[in-house]
Amino acid sequence: MRSRTLPMREVHVWEMPVRVYHWVNALCVTVLCVTGFLIGNPLAFMKGTEAYLNYWFGTVRFIHFVSAFVFFFNFIFRTYWGFVGNEFSRWYNFIPLKRCQWKEIINVIKVDVLQVSHKEIDSIGHNSLASFIYFLTFLIFLLQCLTGFGMYAAMSTAFLPKLFSWIVPFMGGDMHVRQLHHILMWGFILFAMVHIYLVFYHDYIERRGVTSSMIGGWKFIEEDVIERHENRSEDCPKD
Amino acid sequence: MAERIVIDPITRIEGHLRVEIEVTNGVITDAYSAGTMVRGIETILKGRDPRDAWAFVGRVCGVCTSTHSLTSVRTVENALGISVPPNAELIRNLMANALYIQDHVVHFYVLHALDWVDVVSALKADPAATSTLAQSISAWPKSSVGYFTDVQKKFKNFVESGQLGIFANGYWGHSAYKLPPEVNLIAVAHYLEALEWQKEIVKVHTIFGGKNPHPNYLVGGVPCSINIDEANAVNAERLAMVGKLFEDAKTFVDQVYIPDLLAIASFYKSDWGAIGGGLTNYMSFGDFPTNGYNNPDSFKIPRGVILNRDLSKIHEIKADDPEQIQEYVNNSWYDYSKGDKVGLHPWDGETKFNYTGPKPPYDHLDFSQKYSWVKTPRWKGYPMEVGPLSRMLVGYASGKPEFKEVVDSALKALDVPVTALFSTLGRTAARGLETKLTCDWALEFYQSLLANIKNGDSRTMNNEKWEPASWPKEAKGIGMVEAPRGALSHFIVIKDKKIENYQLVVPTTWNASPRDPAGKRSAYEESLIGTPVADPKVPLEVLRTIHSFDPCLACAVH
Amino acid sequence: MENKQPSFYEEVRGDGISRKDFLKFCATMAAFLGLESSGIGQIVKALETKPRLPVIWFHFQECTCCSESFIRASHPIVADIVLGKISLDYQETLMAASGVQAEEAYKAVMAKFPGEYIVMVEGSIPTENEAYCCIGGRSAKQILEEAVQNCKAVVAWGNCASAGCVQAASPNPTGAKPVHKIISGKPVINVQGCPPIADVMAGVVVHLLTFDRIPQLDALGRPKAFYSRRVHDTCYRRANFDAGLFVESFDDEGAKKGYCLYKMGCKGPVTYNSCGIIKWNDGVSYPIQSGHPCIGCSEEGFWDNGPFYQHLPSIAGFGIETTADKIGLGLGVATAVGVAGHAIYTNIRKKKEITNAPETASETEKPKAL
Ligand code: HEM
Ligand code: HEM
Ligand code: NFV
Ligand code: SF4
Ligand code: SF4
Ligand code: F3S
Ligand SMILES: [Mg+2]
Repeated sequence: MRSRTLPMREVHVWEMPVRVYHWVNALCVTVLCVTGFLIGNPLAFMKGTEAYLNYWFGTVRFIHFVSAFVFFFNFIFRTYWGFVGNEFSRWYNFIPLKRCQWKEIINVIKVDVLQVSHKEIDSIGHNSLASFIYFLTFLIFLLQCLTGFGMYAAMSTAFLPKLFSWIVPFMGGDMHVRQLHHILMWGFILFAMVHIYLVFYHDYIERRGVTSSMIGGWKFIEEDVIERHENRSEDCPKD
Repeated sequence: MAERIVIDPITRIEGHLRVEIEVTNGVITDAYSAGTMVRGIETILKGRDPRDAWAFVGRVCGVCTSTHSLTSVRTVENALGISVPPNAELIRNLMANALYIQDHVVHFYVLHALDWVDVVSALKADPAATSTLAQSISAWPKSSVGYFTDVQKKFKNFVESGQLGIFANGYWGHSAYKLPPEVNLIAVAHYLEALEWQKEIVKVHTIFGGKNPHPNYLVGGVPCSINIDEANAVNAERLAMVGKLFEDAKTFVDQVYIPDLLAIASFYKSDWGAIGGGLTNYMSFGDFPTNGYNNPDSFKIPRGVILNRDLSKIHEIKADDPEQIQEYVNNSWYDYSKGDKVGLHPWDGETKFNYTGPKPPYDHLDFSQKYSWVKTPRWKGYPMEVGPLSRMLVGYASGKPEFKEVVDSALKALDVPVTALFSTLGRTAARGLETKLTCDWALEFYQSLLANIKNGDSRTMNNEKWEPASWPKEAKGIGMVEAPRGALSHFIVIKDKKIENYQLVVPTTWNASPRDPAGKRSAYEESLIGTPVADPKVPLEVLRTIHSFDPCLACAVH
Repeated sequence: MENKQPSFYEEVRGDGISRKDFLKFCATMAAFLGLESSGIGQIVKALETKPRLPVIWFHFQECTCCSESFIRASHPIVADIVLGKISLDYQETLMAASGVQAEEAYKAVMAKFPGEYIVMVEGSIPTENEAYCCIGGRSAKQILEEAVQNCKAVVAWGNCASAGCVQAASPNPTGAKPVHKIISGKPVINVQGCPPIADVMAGVVVHLLTFDRIPQLDALGRPKAFYSRRVHDTCYRRANFDAGLFVESFDDEGAKKGYCLYKMGCKGPVTYNSCGIIKWNDGVSYPIQSGHPCIGCSEEGFWDNGPFYQHLPSIAGFGIETTADKIGLGLGVATAVGVAGHAIYTNIRKKKEITNAPETASETEKPKAL
């Protein structure tokens, strides 16, 4: 069981680019979900007026597309940072290829989800389960970009969207692409719900300042955890 | 000695029909008709939204396009207890009328005429004599010497090219062709006119349903809205176009179709007015409501059955009576869970393929067992002929003045007794007379529609039962329509807002079906018996009778 | 074989069509094909000099409405001439001969014009059991495979021949397949739609005749000239879409004003066709103009994208009205409940850690970056 009397140290976990990425991403996703939901289920509040007097639905779509571009490049940037950033932001954290990552996943499930064990989790960055879930969300990001730009290719002459024009025939028609794009929106919503809850949960339980770590970059980590982290077995990912 | 002749494909029809005949001493002594293509649309409908069914069944046929869609929306409305606004009923009538006119004209000129008209003989016609003849039978303006000269020249060039296209290998010069060259030339000219003209009348579908073939329908009404003060809805311009299309149609039918029909019939009445009668039972579901679909007494075409050619009695039809309409599969490539002997009412109908015929390629079908994809429907066990002839007979027998008038005047013009109707020629003539009636009805419906709108009623849709939440857990419905080719019915069972069972019993199913368990022939097979054939290898006579039904095999099998 | 075939132009002139009309026809076709004005000269030249193209048109699993649409081609001389400029040597709906005589007609073409004739197909081909579609005792598959061997190109008319259409809708009881899945080694032009627009059909024929090569196709084999834009992008109700003005139920106020049909399930945004430009039956109207949403009839598998009156398809296995949103909302609620439950559970199970506060702040060390 964790002792609250152990000395703790401030650790700079999230570099500025990661934090900026995170909040740009969170903002884009929020905007994309709201506008996307409206595109799928438009409101009928302008009823009775004339077409030439309004453009609100066009605006909603415009905002969706603008956020989509920001979202896309932000995502590309994060992928790049996964190869050059600090050890907590590196790509190998996200893909559980090592035994110790799987061990930690099982531990996290026991400790935080089922709460049948009270052992500590010795991670400083994301724990292995969280990382893996982020990896899955990155895949959803990718799919959402593919389907989104696939649809967008038909209504654009720009270079970037045109790169995606193979998607629609590949998936057997726009309808399938659209349906998948719409379903994936729910993936984002569900993720965000659980994600935000878990951030608060960890903050509440572990008191390492997780929530603010995505703002300031710092976490409070117990000395012994840092020690163990530095002497990890060969099996664990290292720089 | 009996000789077995196969005619497959029968062309100038819709779909894939095979006929095998036995000829003994120049006369047909036995006949079999088989539908050789199947799609399984009844199976595909299972589990779908009943409001979508019209689109699926619409694709049963593009020739009688829209008629299955109409039947389907009636079926679903019947199941859910929806009555459509009067304007919707009128617009549906107008669309059905437009279909009759287009389909019948195309059938007469494009699908049937070449059985009676020798195209090659038209090359020998004298354009001047043709012009005189044409002007003597009709006021149709395109009848000058120059006009017929041009048409003849066009065909001459065509024939001389050596690439005869659709006219290649026709039965030109056959001894059964009896028209003088001038009549042939008129018919050839009008073949082209009809082909050109038919695309006009279908614009009624385009206005109300957005396209043709396969216009759009809607459960609860029609998709188009009426708003006489709006460019985006049915307004005065659209309505005027509809009016004009029907007026032009009436002119075409009165001045081209009917005169040609009578002219051609007058050369063939002596023999073909007595050949090809076939069955003696006629059935009409009736159609064109003038006071709601649930009120069959208001229909322009009455409902009823005639048995044994007895025009003095009309029998009542109850489609929901499990004893009245039944389908058999004893000679069709399907399995019923209760075996081959039973007939199933369509609400309990089953569609399970069981192909037992020869593996293609084959030379003959084995008629001692199942031999067709068409099921065998019966009314109280009787085989029925359906189609324009049945409708005209039921209308005539029920004493409706408009029917009496057109039938009697045609009989008089041709100088034949009423029994001449029970024949190949009678069938062909009935179709023309019906087209004439349809033109008048359409103009009447058109006026009613205008009157309604003028009185402030612009509703075209009843939305009350649109949402599935408003439906009962289970519902059953029947839709009955007089399709161009005859009595058409759809049966639906809805369960948990989905289609549990959907069955179609189609005009050509009645007419083209194989034998029933009692061995009784259906209309096609029966009508061929006793037909003389000059040369069994050149089956012109068979085509005449089969074409007189206007076969649609995509419909028959579905 | 010294069978002098007159050119299309000679044919037309022989038919009493003036040169003026002929040029007008060429100009219209050029417009349909999206050609520059210099292209008109090309069409004129092609039609003036080329012999008539032999065509065999098969019907398999279909409803004949592609044939019906074809005869609705609307430019004045098209109905007259499309029959004359190609040599339609086999076409079951229109041809005079039946039975053996009919079969001989297409066999003659195959023997006389190897490598030169076009095979046009209306309808799909059953594969579950070939006997599901037989003509003259031979199966659709046998007939097609034989006929394409020496053909120049294949035109697949309509959704049936291009994608299987209604009979290929789930559960596809006959194993219906489109032409391009049956044959290989020959170019196949998918002229999509159920049916295709008459003038599109005519346009494709003219393209073949004029340029002597197949038109540019999109990734689904459709001629770009007619299928490169979504119905939505050329829809006259698009202004209402952008303005957010939607029909909410049939024949409501919005419907009477021609609002956008998106919420009634319009598939215009996912459908590539020329309905909004060429329109139907001589430009009279098209489905959306008549007040009905587009059902997506030129797209592969559109029958299984229903129900038609819903913007997105239902999710298979969840009943006709279940959309992604209903499932998503259900999962959302479940997640919220799960999260709340977990929070309560945590407060019970981890009571110790939660109440076990650090004794003094001084016990934490000076910050040090890793
Ligand atoms: C978090 C990411 C995103 C979410 C949650 C999201 C959500 C949605 C939703 C729900 C729809 C409506 C689908 C329907 O019901 O028809 C939609 C439409 C669309 N989205 Fe996204 N989207 C996202 C990202 C993107 C991206 C990256 C693009 C790339 C360009 C994009 C392009 C589109 C397009 C083109 C449409 C169709 C709009 C129309 O034609 O009216 N989306 N989106
Ligand atoms: C109030 C809202 C949010 C807060 C407070 C928040 C906070 C955090 C925190 C503290 C982390 C680090 C967690 C860890 O150490 O494992 C994190 C990571 C992450 N969050 Fe959020 N988040 C929020 C909203 C979102 C949203 C809406 C999304 C997008 C759907 C999102 C996507 C991510 C991703 C992808 C990561 C991993 C970051 C990386 O390593 O690049 N977050 N978030
Ligand atoms: N038989 C038939 Fe139909 C008709 N008329 C439909 O119900 O042809 Ni295609
Ligand atoms: S594509 Fe549609 S219209 Fe054409 S034959 Fe098939 S079902 Fe009929
Ligand atoms: S009616 Fe259909 S195609 Fe037209 S703008 Fe609306 S959604 Fe698009
Ligand atoms: S249903 Fe078909 S006809 Fe055009 S508008 Fe849609 S593609
Ligand atoms: Mg049936």
